[in-house]
Amino acid sequence: MDRRTFFKVSWGSVGVAALLSAVGVSLTAVGRYLMPTVFYEPPQAFKIGTPGDFAFGAPTFLVDEKIYVFHDRERGFAVASAVCTHLGCTVAHFQSDQKFHCPCHGSVFGADGNVQHGPAPRALDWFEVTLARDGQLRVDKNKVVPPTYRLMV
Amino acid sequence: MERRLQQLFFALSVLALLLIVAAAHQANTPSWKTFQHNYHVLEAQGEPNEVTKAAVLATPPEVHQFMLTGLQRVDRCTTCHMGVEDPTMKNAPEPFRYHANLGPHVPSKFGCTICHGGQGLATTTEDAHGKVEFWENPLLSKDYIRASCGRCHKEGDVPGVPELTEGRHLFETQGCRGCHKLNGIGGTIGPDLTGEGASHRAPEWLETHFLTPNALSAGSAMPNFHFTREQAKALTYYMLSLTSEDMGSYYSSVRLIPGPEYGRKLFAEKNCITCHNFGGIGQKAGPDLAGVTTRHSQEWLDEQLVNPELVYPGSSMPAYDLESNERKALISYLSSATPADVQQLLSNKAKALSPQDVAIEAGKQDFARFGCVGCHGTELQGGVPNPNAQGGEVPSLLHLSDDYTKDEVLAVIRNGRVPPIDNANGPPPPLYMPAWKKVLSDEDINRIADFLWSKQQKKDAW
Amino acid sequence: MNIFREVYQSIVRRDPLSTDKGKSELVFLNVWLHIHPAKVKKENMKFRHSFYLGFITFFLFLILVTTGIALMFYYRPFPPQSYQDMKDLQFVVFLGPFLRNMHRWAAHGMVVCVFLHMCRVFYTGSYKKPRQFNWVIGIFLLLLTLGLSFTGYLLPWDQLAYWAITVGTNIGSYAPFIGGTLREVLLGGHSVGQAALVRFYVLHVAILPSLMILLTIVHFWRVRKDGGLSRPVWKLKAPSTAGLVTIGTSADAPLVPTQAASTTKTYGLMEVVTGKPIFEQVTPEEEEDTVFSYPYAFVREAVTLMATVTTIMAMSLFLNAPLEELANPAKTPNPAKAPWYFLGLQELVSHSALLGGVVAPALMVIALLVIPYIDRNPSRRPRDRKWAIWLFTAFVVVNLVLIVVGTFFRGPGWALVPPWVHVVGRPE
Repeated sequence: MDRRTFFKVSWGSVGVAALLSAVGVSLTAVGRYLMPTVFYEPPQAFKIGTPGDFAFGAPTFLVDEKIYVFHDRERGFAVASAVCTHLGCTVAHFQSDQKFHCPCHGSVFGADGNVQHGPAPRALDWFEVTLARDGQLRVDKNKVVPPTYRLMV
Repeated sequence: MERRLQQLFFALSVLALLLIVAAAHQANTPSWKTFQHNYHVLEAQGEPNEVTKAAVLATPPEVHQFMLTGLQRVDRCTTCHMGVEDPTMKNAPEPFRYHANLGPHVPSKFGCTICHGGQGLATTTEDAHGKVEFWENPLLSKDYIRASCGRCHKEGDVPGVPELTEGRHLFETQGCRGCHKLNGIGGTIGPDLTGEGASHRAPEWLETHFLTPNALSAGSAMPNFHFTREQAKALTYYMLSLTSEDMGSYYSSVRLIPGPEYGRKLFAEKNCITCHNFGGIGQKAGPDLAGVTTRHSQEWLDEQLVNPELVYPGSSMPAYDLESNERKALISYLSSATPADVQQLLSNKAKALSPQDVAIEAGKQDFARFGCVGCHGTELQGGVPNPNAQGGEVPSLLHLSDDYTKDEVLAVIRNGRVPPIDNANGPPPPLYMPAWKKVLSDEDINRIADFLWSKQQKKDAW
Repeated sequence: MNIFREVYQSIVRRDPLSTDKGKSELVFLNVWLHIHPAKVKKENMKFRHSFYLGFITFFLFLILVTTGIALMFYYRPFPPQSYQDMKDLQFVVFLGPFLRNMHRWAAHGMVVCVFLHMCRVFYTGSYKKPRQFNWVIGIFLLLLTLGLSFTGYLLPWDQLAYWAITVGTNIGSYAPFIGGTLREVLLGGHSVGQAALVRFYVLHVAILPSLMILLTIVHFWRVRKDGGLSRPVWKLKAPSTAGLVTIGTSADAPLVPTQAASTTKTYGLMEVVTGKPIFEQVTPEEEEDTVFSYPYAFVREAVTLMATVTTIMAMSLFLNAPLEELANPAKTPNPAKAPWYFLGLQELVSHSALLGGVVAPALMVIALLVIPYIDRNPSRRPRDRKWAIWLFTAFVVVNLVLIVVGTFFRGPGWALVPPWVHVVGRPE
């Protein structure tokens, strides 16, 4: 091709590429725009108090956060979700058999959260609990950990 | 031409791409991300090993906010001030420093702006600190932050903030209510001060105003009370605390409930013993208060303190302007007081009072409470400047009986009086005697007149 | 490769664009483009004839619709959450400030451009027979633009919004008979509050845009039926004694000789609907000046679109839309001013509520509406219509002066204070 056509085509290509990129970037930007930056909901990571606030043995149930806080004398802290994986009802922990029972459709979860009985499709989540620098326990629901996870304090 | 236009189109497309990318870049690099990164660098220094260091440095940036529905606000300060709850950041540079002495005032329940001021919704420095146009509540300087305690802790001595107690005391005794309404009671010569703390006047303005009213409010009729710097500051603290915050029940319930010691202080301050007796100690004008908490319920006693005329119409007991927790403190004192203790209070008092003295004492309380002292003085000396009134100032009340009968005085209190003008061509005098018949009952007006008559000084014999 | 070709040709069914037939089909076989004629007259597309103001106004409207819908994801029309949402857009939403700025500047731009477009149509006499009613529709589009701007103004729920709308609705209440009711219906109450915000929101996002779109459709359609954009004034010959032929002329009216369209040129469906333009005559030399819309007209529209979009984007990157304090019914700013396009009105109202607020603007709107019908002069050439041009220019200048006075020369208490004088309390 001659020089003129070459420049015409290459400028044209640059222009078309620019236009398409502009459209592409705009669409991506709109996508990012629609993702919320702040959530007007209870936070997913929160502090629950100092280790001394939690008794040994039976887990402490925190109703607003919907978690069970286990404090084991030997092995430390573990936090389990109290939300049944079937359809979202709050499960109850019984000291008698150390299991979680869901009142809605009868799902039963073992001490480690695994499904033993009932329609629940998967085990209860265990959440990461760490010790924050001000001495409080911090639970992060965004971080699911295996049932063997313990925080020693 | 056609080719030029095509080139122009493509050039504009490139420009559009650049502008979109610039906009996305602008949106992606807010200043708070830099602050968060710097904080993580600082945090990483305290981490024991490389793994945890890397984990900390890799924390994704995000906006932190506390949704405080009870306080009707959202605070995002911890997006940059990330070290607020981390004791290891005690010596970190701002904005990462640890906030000591929070006590129960944790950010997750209280946020930051309720005490510090500022714009909680903002995520840029100047905007968040509220030091911008169109945000009327900027950060309070260190000098005045403790005044914010009074926004919730409205009664009793707030530990660590004696200025609030002093300010309140000054307000009640210097006669401010004579011209200014507060919570519905007071005069109308000056502006209503209910919610003054929410009016966004700068603390410095308030303090200067107390020291020299005319400096900031030109032509103001507010007299110069010759407050000391400390007194002006105390009053400023009190003013700043007068917000009409609509606190959720959680916050109202955790306010300090002062104990019986404070009740004892109130018992002495309000001179209850000048009418009541306690197990025989004191006066007989009012009932014996010993064991009163076993005879009546808390609610009944509480109501009695709010509205003494409710159960005993015609009672000469004044209605004291006590907050709910103050009343609780007083009642709790009554349940625990002993006659010996009250004897001790009484020994600080002067002579015993007759029934007339009771009325006079009540009148004296009213005279201070309704702000009459603001213009007429705590010693009834008058002297507050009133330009273009005959005499040029508010008159002294010590020689009323020379010129007026008691009935005439009662009429003036009831109906008010505009002072006679000195120069008819000049502006009307700013101060005047308001009409109190709608605010004060006839009994109160009579008691005030009795009090005034008890203070009359005899004319010097010629 | 055949399957790809088959798929492509099932979607794109026209001939290739290298052919004349393809260029025509691109227009009339495409649902988005077929409002255009397949061919346009080059001279009508000259920049200095129309300045493409109509296109610019329409593109600004498109920007407003897209940014407006985007903003709706983060805005709730309930005070005081609305103000919090504005703060959220400013501080935490990705591209929040940018989108809000685009919306605001495009709105101001659209008010300015629709006004300039009206001026252009007047000065080129393009409202004359047979285009009279399209002018009327255009005036309604102008009023809708002002209405959209006014209803949108309240949504941020800041001091500027609250008091501008208070002043604006109070001006409206001076209308005789209907004024009070009109204000009550607009506000859903007696003062600007929650009900007013919801109503203004519904008007702003649903009712007024729908009306705008409906009338725009009619407006574009009529332009097409009138033969496209009008001829530039410098191309106009002296008016001949020949008049226009219109359908429906009564049988005994003198038939004026007209120039017939070419006898050899055939007109098919591709170019005009019937054998010739319904309302305007076409001279043979003009026919030669026609070119295909693709690419001639489309490249010009595309450049206009890109120029408009990039200008608004550049403004939005650097200039921030204002947001004042939360609306406070107890605290009136002094002075309280209506939005700038109503400041001329507010200036008039400050002299007389009834005359200035109701009679004068009503007369202005009525005068605008009837222009095509009272203007009996058939010529579009400027030299033949000096009076009309002077009168209209005077009207424009008076309006501009009123707006300038209202914006810059009115201080606290609506006192006349020049902007170079410092007044305590006036925002700098």
